[in-house]
Amino acid sequence: MCDTCGCPSPSDHSHDHDHDHRHDHSHKSGHSHSKTVDVHASLFAANDALAKANREHFNEVGAVALNLISSPGSGKTTLLEQTIDALKGEIRIGVIEGDIETERDALRIRAKGVPVIQLTTGGACHLDAAMTHKGFHRLQKEPGGENIDLLFIENVGNLVCPATFDLGEHERVVLVSVPEGPDKPAKYPKAFTSSHTFLVTKTDLLPYFDFPVPEAVGDALRLNPQLRTMSLSSKTGDGMETWLKYLRELVANKKAGKLK
Amino acid sequence: MHEISLVQNLVQQLKELAAENQATKILRVTMEIGPLCGVVVDSFRFGFDIISSEEELLRGAELLIDIPTVRYTCTGCGKVIVTAGPRPDCCPACQELTLFPEGGDDLILLQVEME
Repeated sequence: MCDTCGCPSPSDHSHDHDHDHRHDHSHKSGHSHSKTVDVHASLFAANDALAKANREHFNEVGAVALNLISSPGSGKTTLLEQTIDALKGEIRIGVIEGDIETERDALRIRAKGVPVIQLTTGGACHLDAAMTHKGFHRLQKEPGGENIDLLFIENVGNLVCPATFDLGEHERVVLVSVPEGPDKPAKYPKAFTSSHTFLVTKTDLLPYFDFPVPEAVGDALRLNPQLRTMSLSSKTGDGMETWLKYLRELVANKKAGKLK
Repeated sequence: MHEISLVQNLVQQLKELAAENQATKILRVTMEIGPLCGVVVDSFRFGFDIISSEEELLRGAELLIDIPTVRYTCTGCGKVIVTAGPRPDCCPACQELTLFPEGGDDLILLQVEME
């Protein structure tokens, strides 16, 4: 149980990983006093336990959580700004911004009038479930933060490391912008195999870059045939309706108890 | 370099294990690193070497790494490919590109030898 509010997260100081210490195989080798212990514990277990608690916490407050993963500069924050403008008055949005340094993204989102907090990792290349847990508590104390339908967690810009850490999100969205090139699914498979949705962004730049969308999407689908795929431009608004429809459906499904 | 933070988690677990077993020295650590778990073996080893050199408990400890196999099933013809190596580009039998992977996605502390 969390010390801050009693949410399902284990408290920060608890021994929350359940490694199963099987001491029955331990033995002493003949020449020294050494002892071998079979542990068989996943190093992801601690993060996964906290992520599960985060998910329960989001469920308790009725929020759908999305984890946005991409390289730096793919347009995550701009997409959020446009999304907030489009859904204002309809869906209550909250944002957790993850960056290595600066409050810049949080300032941009705050200017849109929604509750936001900035997590600065001080060098870490990804968010983890513990940071997300603390961040969500801070967010809930922001004006409007007590009632959130849709929580965006904007991960640190990095297509590699964030893919390994479950934050407790309901949906993971991976973004690739047109200038980055279509080879990202092939080169960074884990981000695509672990995601629910693949978004090609900055499609207004397609005339200037060699980015065959079907090739990128095809590569991603080969890795993960269940992946939902969309293309959009936050600048021109092309494709935004499909994205907004997806978000509306997620929130509606959450309200109807269909999303766990 | 998320490998460093994973190594830090590992070191924390090793300290707890050593305390539980009244050990003062970790001699050997055996890890299983799945090819699909998103961890680069060389980076993990590099992180382990750095952190273990700074901890009295771990100084000089040997890190053994097991790479388990992944079972890929071809969605075209059903052929099964079992490998601990890189993800196959396509099915060697029918050239289908979509292969369904099972296993090899975890990072596991298997065994610790201490004294």
